[in-house]
Amino acid sequence: MFKDFFYVCKAKGLDISLSEWLTLMDAVDKGLCESSLTRFYYVARMILVKNETEYDKFDMAFEEHFKGIQSENDISEKMKRWLDKEEMNDLLHEEDKFWMNKQQEMENIDKEETRKQFEKRLEDQDSEHNGGTKWIGTLGKTSFGNTGGNVGGIRVGGYTGYQSAFQVVGERKYRDFRDDRVLDNRQFQQALRKLRQFSTKLDVPRTELDLDGTIDKTCNNGGYLQIVMEKPRKNAVKLLLLMDSGGTMIPYTVLLNELFQSVHKSNHFKDVKTYFFHNCIYSKLYNTPECENGDWIDTEWMFRNLDSDYKVIIVGDAAMAPEELYSDQGNYRGPNGGLSGMDWLRLVKRHYKKIVWMNPKMAPGKAPWREAETAIKELFPMYKLTVGGLNLAMDKLMSR
Amino acid sequence: MGTNFQSTQDYVASRELMDSVNVAMALEKPLLIKGEPGTGKTMLAKAVANSLSMDLIIWNIKSTTKAQEGLYTYDTIQRLYDGQFGEEGVDDIAKYIKLGKLGEAFDRQEQVVLLIDEIDKADLEFPNDLLWELDQMEFYIPETKRTVKAKQRPIVIITSNAEKELPDAFLRRCIFHYIDFPKAELMEEIVGTHFPNIEANLLKNAMEVFYWIRGIKDVRKKPSTSELIDWLNALQMNGIPAETLKKELPFLGVVIKKDEDLETVRHYV
Repeated sequence: MFKDFFYVCKAKGLDISLSEWLTLMDAVDKGLCESSLTRFYYVARMILVKNETEYDKFDMAFEEHFKGIQSENDISEKMKRWLDKEEMNDLLHEEDKFWMNKQQEMENIDKEETRKQFEKRLEDQDSEHNGGTKWIGTLGKTSFGNTGGNVGGIRVGGYTGYQSAFQVVGERKYRDFRDDRVLDNRQFQQALRKLRQFSTKLDVPRTELDLDGTIDKTCNNGGYLQIVMEKPRKNAVKLLLLMDSGGTMIPYTVLLNELFQSVHKSNHFKDVKTYFFHNCIYSKLYNTPECENGDWIDTEWMFRNLDSDYKVIIVGDAAMAPEELYSDQGNYRGPNGGLSGMDWLRLVKRHYKKIVWMNPKMAPGKAPWREAETAIKELFPMYKLTVGGLNLAMDKLMSR
Repeated sequence: MGTNFQSTQDYVASRELMDSVNVAMALEKPLLIKGEPGTGKTMLAKAVANSLSMDLIIWNIKSTTKAQEGLYTYDTIQRLYDGQFGEEGVDDIAKYIKLGKLGEAFDRQEQVVLLIDEIDKADLEFPNDLLWELDQMEFYIPETKRTVKAKQRPIVIITSNAEKELPDAFLRRCIFHYIDFPKAELMEEIVGTHFPNIEANLLKNAMEVFYWIRGIKDVRKKPSTSELIDWLNALQMNGIPAETLKKELPFLGVVIKKDEDLETVRHYV
């Protein structure tokens, strides 16, 4: 039963295991869905989806699979276009809306009546309306449409201003939760927490008292104390962050700043080092994002002093001109050190075991017109700088 | 399902939430509850226990909590003392084994509700360490060669603030529910359980201001249910008339805790 639905969910990118699917079938067998499609929706969602960021994917899969069965109102695409008007929000100032509702008594609204009227208007309406008192449209005073001044009506598309429309038709309510959006500081930090590797195999002396071991030995020794020592358990992960700065990265300054802050707020690493580069890595790495000549270290020095156990995150848009990447004169701001950018990148790859490249504007799929990006993708695993991308990258860094 | 969970006098649950509790019970799976702070995640377990007249066992998780502590602890220190002074029964390890919260829930004669509160506070691997125990509802104590098995499968409710991602293997075994921030209608009911005699106009105006503040995009820390309740409390105690509420926004500091948010709100007023 519902086997096709399983594959629709999979196709929408929901990672559903067989055991979860069997649990759902079990629930259906036990009659928990009461032969109701709405109940089935909720039961399936609570069993199959374990993160609110994936509710939207589930909603889309459900809609696609059960569209034919659902008999509720379909809002036509044409009507959605009439209503999808962000500029209306600016026109109607938040403040005005607030006071417009001052007199309104929410209890006075008859939901059934509103719904009937709504269905009738859906049938009758044939044009766009903004700011009226009868039809479905924006800025109006009827109980339908959006960005209007009425509380407790039926909202069609648009954005939730007041959360009070008692029925929201055709809204993808959980869209804001999707994790392919570009991330914020807190989410960065959460992703970085993945970089943990507790180890007792560190090269440190046995400094901690092994309490249980000591006591057991002592008890077995007829009460004569016999101390047992052990090595402390600590996070062994060391992080090296190399960030592209300036030029084409300027639009992403806020995002990079968030990442930088998150890395330095995360106090669970054994060590964190950050250096900056401009467009591509050459023989010098800068200490500050301003990339000022002189305030730098030798890339060779980094190889000598930061050993190959450092996990490396390179952040950049990989949008170099071909000569910046392939010519040994390609660095127009500083020294090349006799090697091309590509050669330097290869040296980085040879030296460090675990490297990922985070790209804030990565082209989806293969993008042959972005020559540098394609070449670098072959060298390093590249991920988009989003919640999903960073999580994948952290998994990659932690994989053996 | 003879015994179903329903909203209680002090706890208003949405239909979806009640359903998820009942489905988790019917399928004998742990229920994982996520949601904004102040949406009543912890209260839920109390309400479930109340509604089903069962005992509630709470296991509060901290950053240092180890899975083992929930099962049992072996009081080796006591044994050491007893060993030094030649106390009787030092060779009987069972005397020094104390069951943790999970062990206690298993060991009870009657069915109980077990709340594992804020599981995301613990170490990343914590949930994985409990997979077998929550699946099989049993664990083994090697020191005494005893197996503790649940006499009555407890109803397990787990809450998370999403500070850390929980491992996939763990999630696959749970029923999941995300508590949305309550809509105005439900919020009125919730407030009603705290202030049954509140003046209707005051409540209405306060709620409008509250949802208006939550709707302002630039507000960093959105006020939650508990802030609304504190605010209503302050308004009532000081006898603020409903009419002046919107104009003056008294005691705004109760609703908004961040200075920059206060400025933002004042700016919009």
